[in-house]
Amino acid sequence: MSLRFKLKKSFSTGFSIDAGFAVEEELLVLFGPSGAGKTQILKMISGIITPDEGAVSVGGETLFDSSRHINVPIRERKIGYLFQDYALFPHMTVFGNISYGISRLEKRRVSEKVAELIGVMRLSGLEDRYPHELSGGQKQRTALARTLAAEPRILLLDEPFSALDYQVREKLRADLLNIHKIYPITTIFVTHDLEEAFMLGRSIAVINNGRLEQTGPRDELFYRPRTRNVARFLGFRNIFDGTVEAADGSQVAIRTRELGLIKAGVPSGWTPSAGQKVSFCIRPEEVIVIRPDRVLGDRVQDNVLEGEILDVVGKGSTHVLYLKMHGEREASGMISGGQASESESTTVHSEDSPRLAAGSFKAGEGAALLKVEVPNFVLRKLALARGKRIRVSLKREDVWIIP
Amino acid sequence: MDLFPLLLTIKVSFTATVFTVITGLALAYLMAKKDFFGKDVLDALVMQPLVIPPTVLGYYLLTVFGRSSHLGGFLEDFAGVQIVFTWKGAVVASIISSLPLFVKPARAALEGVGADLENAARLLGKTEFEIIRTVTLPLAWRGIAAGAVMSFARATGEFGATLMVAGNIPGLTQTLPIAIYDAVQSGDYRAANTLVGVITVFSFLVLFLAGRFTKGRF
Repeated sequence: MSLRFKLKKSFSTGFSIDAGFAVEEELLVLFGPSGAGKTQILKMISGIITPDEGAVSVGGETLFDSSRHINVPIRERKIGYLFQDYALFPHMTVFGNISYGISRLEKRRVSEKVAELIGVMRLSGLEDRYPHELSGGQKQRTALARTLAAEPRILLLDEPFSALDYQVREKLRADLLNIHKIYPITTIFVTHDLEEAFMLGRSIAVINNGRLEQTGPRDELFYRPRTRNVARFLGFRNIFDGTVEAADGSQVAIRTRELGLIKAGVPSGWTPSAGQKVSFCIRPEEVIVIRPDRVLGDRVQDNVLEGEILDVVGKGSTHVLYLKMHGEREASGMISGGQASESESTTVHSEDSPRLAAGSFKAGEGAALLKVEVPNFVLRKLALARGKRIRVSLKREDVWIIP
Repeated sequence: MDLFPLLLTIKVSFTATVFTVITGLALAYLMAKKDFFGKDVLDALVMQPLVIPPTVLGYYLLTVFGRSSHLGGFLEDFAGVQIVFTWKGAVVASIISSLPLFVKPARAALEGVGADLENAARLLGKTEFEIIRTVTLPLAWRGIAAGAVMSFARATGEFGATLMVAGNIPGLTQTLPIAIYDAVQSGDYRAANTLVGVITVFSFLVLFLAGRFTKGRF
């Protein structure tokens, strides 16, 4: 069932929300930093918080409309809501919790339904346990089963995995996708975890400071962000400003103080003109480290730059290099003859904390930091370490211009 | 030994506790779950008996329920109920003075039932009454029970306000604390000792049993 909303609310703290979008039959991830207003949006859709103005409709039925004074009570909305801390009833067993919303049904129907959900949620044998006797993952699945038992028209999940540890989280994400296949209910999944957003959302809505920044299919947001904020939140650590120096139909050259001349593809719907100021960005994992032992060939690499490794930070399966770039002293002079080889480019790895930006080092006047994420084996093979000078390439199709 | 003061005290305390729990629960729920104009004033008013001298409280009650007052006259003319200088006066004094001792823990217990739990029940289609019955009260009952025990204990020990409203009429309105006062005044220390012993054991038992009773799992 489709969900549409457009809501406004000012809170006494001065924070305000003004956002709206439509969700069709799918799983949409509502992504944004902590305090962006994600939970408040879910609470307004469900009716727990009354918006100042706006409208909410599910499957064409209006649940809230400030201009027509419609405000359907929470209990009649048939919205499933999974609270961040699950809100299981501590005085009821797993069975009691799951059957709570369907107690009006015939006793046999209740048992059948609960049994089915207990099977799907892998809770067999735990029927008589109390919530305090369950693990985090079991609590979370019990809460989800309780919500699904009432056959909601839409499902709102408020950071359901945030209280769980990493391994459990990964398993539960896969579970959730599975469950969504069995019960294909229109779902909004709130998270501030980039990896989670990428894994779960066919579509993603990015919210910041109570406002919608961008919404669309996952790949469009992840690789073609429309605003600086979206780029920042979605893991583009390297965002630079420059001026358009030259442009033809498909390519543009941007003059930057920090990186020299950068060539990039032109996003559709944007016509660059010389002298125009633009921002562009590249994901740390898309930056290619050039092997020093290979000479560059005729096929000159795009945007080859040289930098000094200021620091190396391990992140588990990858390492992040902080490269100090030296502005106009471009590396282009070094490109001569030979075939360039590139390190295997990695799949998308994200940061757990979107705030761990490249701002922890001072690069100095006229210089900039470039964050480069490389798989561990590349780090070992190329013996990348602090103080070493390396060359990197920013492939022009991976340089994304924020118009 | 004259058992009348003990039996009267138990009767007054039970009756008072029943009324305290009913009115106190409504007040506590209102203050725990709703926002309304004058909430702080109502709170201050309910808590007054904790700080106001019992004799002053008794004087107020005399003024409100006395035969010459509107309320007192109305009750006597139309309901045939006389409050002042009857055991009912002792009940009224006990209710008013024990109400804050019930409302405080009951309100805290009701507030302790998180809004998310009640909202979860609302989202599952339950009415407000069903939520109170199946979620709020079952989770808050321990605090409510503790409040009831406290107010019962307070009612058994009520002295000042009771003396003002119900008086000290042996065999009619003389409760245990007043009987003790009376015994000491007339130098009958044997009676005083017995009564003091009875009330000490009684109070201890009430608190001890209540403590055991309200221990639980959640």
